[in-house]
Amino acid sequence: MKGRPILGTLAVLGYVIMIVPILFVVSTAFTAGDALTFPPQGVSLRWFGEALAYQPFVGALLSSLQLAVVSTALALLLGVPVTLAIQRGKIPGKSLVEGLFLSPLVVPELVVGLALYQQIMIGLHQTSFVALLVGHTVLLLPYAVRVTGASLALADPAVEEAARGLGASPLRTFFSVTLPLLRPGIFSAGLLSFVTSFNNVPLSLLLQSRQFRTLPVTMLDYVQQSYDPMIAAMSTLILAGTVVIAIVAEKTLGFAKIFGGINK
Amino acid sequence: MSRKPALLLIPGLVFILFGFAIPSAIMLLAPPSTDTADVFLRFGAMLTDPYDLAIIWRTVRIGLIVTAACVVLGFPIAYLLARSTSRFAGMWLALAIFPLLLSNVVRTFGWLVILGSQGAFGQLLVVLGITDQPPQLLYTELAIVLGLIQLFLPLAVISCYSAVAQVDAGLDHAARGLGATKSQTLWQIVIPLSRPGILIAGTLVFAGATTAYTTPYLLGGSSQRMLSTQLFSYASVSVDWAAASATALIMTMLVFLVSGLSSLISRKAGVTS
Repeated sequence: MKGRPILGTLAVLGYVIMIVPILFVVSTAFTAGDALTFPPQGVSLRWFGEALAYQPFVGALLSSLQLAVVSTALALLLGVPVTLAIQRGKIPGKSLVEGLFLSPLVVPELVVGLALYQQIMIGLHQTSFVALLVGHTVLLLPYAVRVTGASLALADPAVEEAARGLGASPLRTFFSVTLPLLRPGIFSAGLLSFVTSFNNVPLSLLLQSRQFRTLPVTMLDYVQQSYDPMIAAMSTLILAGTVVIAIVAEKTLGFAKIFGGINK
Repeated sequence: MSRKPALLLIPGLVFILFGFAIPSAIMLLAPPSTDTADVFLRFGAMLTDPYDLAIIWRTVRIGLIVTAACVVLGFPIAYLLARSTSRFAGMWLALAIFPLLLSNVVRTFGWLVILGSQGAFGQLLVVLGITDQPPQLLYTELAIVLGLIQLFLPLAVISCYSAVAQVDAGLDHAARGLGATKSQTLWQIVIPLSRPGILIAGTLVFAGATTAYTTPYLLGGSSQRMLSTQLFSYASVSVDWAAASATALIMTMLVFLVSGLSSLISRKAGVTS
């Protein structure tokens, strides 16, 4: 940053906007007072206790985790074969197919959410969980296809051909050659998918029901009714969980690698 | 494997067609118990009604401001980090990317603490004697803009970073060695060569900012409606399918227009360079 005063100032301003609001949430979570004010009054952990004892938050957290795990698994199960077909198979209209699988990134999530609400929940009388599972999986498919695709595109298909040439069956080739090549991509896609599903608001908001409601939606609801430090405490707990995921990501593959696949 | 690609493709294809493409098309053009003609009538009406036009214009305006701010703040971060030799550069990059993993709801709550009526910023102004009463900062366009910049800046940093990192640092040294100033090197070498990444950054941020829901909902309230909050209100408060579809059409067309324009520009640039 030395000798670049303008660039340096802009960069600092950028970091301030990205990070400082998060610090404010954390600091108010530790307040001993009753109001979400700054500076916080005294230090205590009481709001963490209240957040973890608040049944709607706990129930919603479990719902969110359940939805995130199942939709991530489904997206990988559907998406990885598609990646294989696109990268290794000879299919007509390859770029069109790839474009179709990436299109959920472009279409506004509220549009997808409202569409599934009308077709699946009203039209087919399915539960909120079914609609959410379809919606979240659709949203995660681009990661499953693009991020795993990026790791496969780097690998030389000749390795797989060599295995086949040396007498390995197609199944054996897949499990002992292709799958290890795919593993970092699958890991990155799984991580991004889990986080994306867990944090999603537009779909989860439109497709919620009294029986099934995710944590971000429950928190949005809560803050409209009562504005107290419990919401900051819950946010801080989510932050802590996210930091753990981030450290795992950084230690295993590295951030740059995981996120590099998104916008290539 | 290459003999049966169709088998690998079909489950995913069926899922994305019936779980996404077809329902979205039906919702946009023929929502339940609504005439397609009604959707287009509402669409036409929205483009002439002053109230709806104000919402469309607010959405576009906020999208443009946030996009410009994210590029202006994100590119310097990306450039300084890509050219840094510090061993902390990786840590700073991780810090800029990390917020992408964190819930939008959590990130947006921070602005409630800062900008709210009991908030830190308002109280600071009172303590400093600048105002007697904490000013109304929440539920303003400024609040939405700040919230959206925070949300999408990491995306801009990543796109710009991968673009700048691809520009050989040797070119910078060569330009400097030939007598170019630092700012000449930046404006005439680095920025032109990383333009595709900057374009991607801008497109992603604009599409995200014009369709985001959480931020305008929490920080804009009902007085600063954007297309997304308006769409939600048609869909779940007034249950007006025709109006919801028309709003969704406007939002979708806006996003497609901008991403189409951006890929056109990058293709043109690809041909000439």
